[in-house]
Amino acid sequence: MKDFERPQDDLDRALDAQLARTLAPPRVPPRFRAHLQAALARSAESSLSDARSRFEREQQATLIALERNYVRLRRRTLGTMIGGAFAAGAAAAVALPWVTANLGPIAPLAIASVGTLVGIWIGASAWLSSRAEYDSQLPP
Amino acid sequence: MQTAVDAASRDGDIAELLRAGERDRAFDALLARYEQKIYRLCCAMLRDRAHAEDTAQESLVRIWKALDGYDGRASLSSWVYAITRNRCLTALERRRFMDSLDDGDVETEIAVLARPDQAPSDDRSEQLRELVDLLPERLRRTLVLYYFEERSTREVAQMLGCPEGTVKTHLFRARAALTEQLRRRGLDDPVLWLETTP
Repeated sequence: MKDFERPQDDLDRALDAQLARTLAPPRVPPRFRAHLQAALARSAESSLSDARSRFEREQQATLIALERNYVRLRRRTLGTMIGGAFAAGAAAAVALPWVTANLGPIAPLAIASVGTLVGIWIGASAWLSSRAEYDSQLPP
Repeated sequence: MQTAVDAASRDGDIAELLRAGERDRAFDALLARYEQKIYRLCCAMLRDRAHAEDTAQESLVRIWKALDGYDGRASLSSWVYAITRNRCLTALERRRFMDSLDDGDVETEIAVLARPDQAPSDDRSEQLRELVDLLPERLRRTLVLYYFEERSTREVAQMLGCPEGTVKTHLFRARAALTEQLRRRGLDDPVLWLETTP
């Protein structure tokens, strides 16, 4: 390959000099820095604005999910209580004649009182565990 | 390889500032060192100074945003030039699309406006500029950058992201094509060109 950097003849030399004049390096316009600083500031603002919008969207989604979980937990608690009451009623209906016959007429009242206490304890523990589960999902 | 080592040592201070978490100071140093080069690369690739200014600005904003993610695998200069080239290519695509929507008169106006304002306005320069503009794009771009960068083939290779040998080949072909065009137009007398050389 020819050495392009070393002009070969008079025309090459003259052409090289003329090209250097014609293709003089352009200088950055004086207002360039000011425009750049403005563009950087706009970019930073839009980055902050984007981040805020993203966080707001995420927070909204988290709140909706929490609300859904809360409703689901309340339904589960209600279901547990109804189920427990139904089971207790069924057990009492079956066992009441046998208890009255074998333990005396006051026994059903005593058993009903114990059953009420047990029911309250089950309901309270179900509510407390639901509450603890709900609290654990809250954002820090 | 030598080029990469040179570039790495040249930009060692910026890399150091980035490692220290001094992003703003690193960007200021980068701006002082590469602002002109980025603008020249944009001018060479886009031909239009206003367009080049916008694209250089976009490139620098992109560089500023991505500076935290610079991992030092490529030399900083290669990274900066790669971002700038990509912005230029995007701008060219956008302009091609816009041009396809415009008519010929507007294109002519753009071509007139695109002429560099600092260039001498004598006939020889105009003739030569026209011939340079007629060169195939890769040859034209390489030739223009070569003179913008004070005849440094190494710098031009880095800016265009190609081997130095390719730059030399393109320059040789560009100059041969220009000489051939001058001969065809009867302008191959060195005296014609020496007359306007200061």
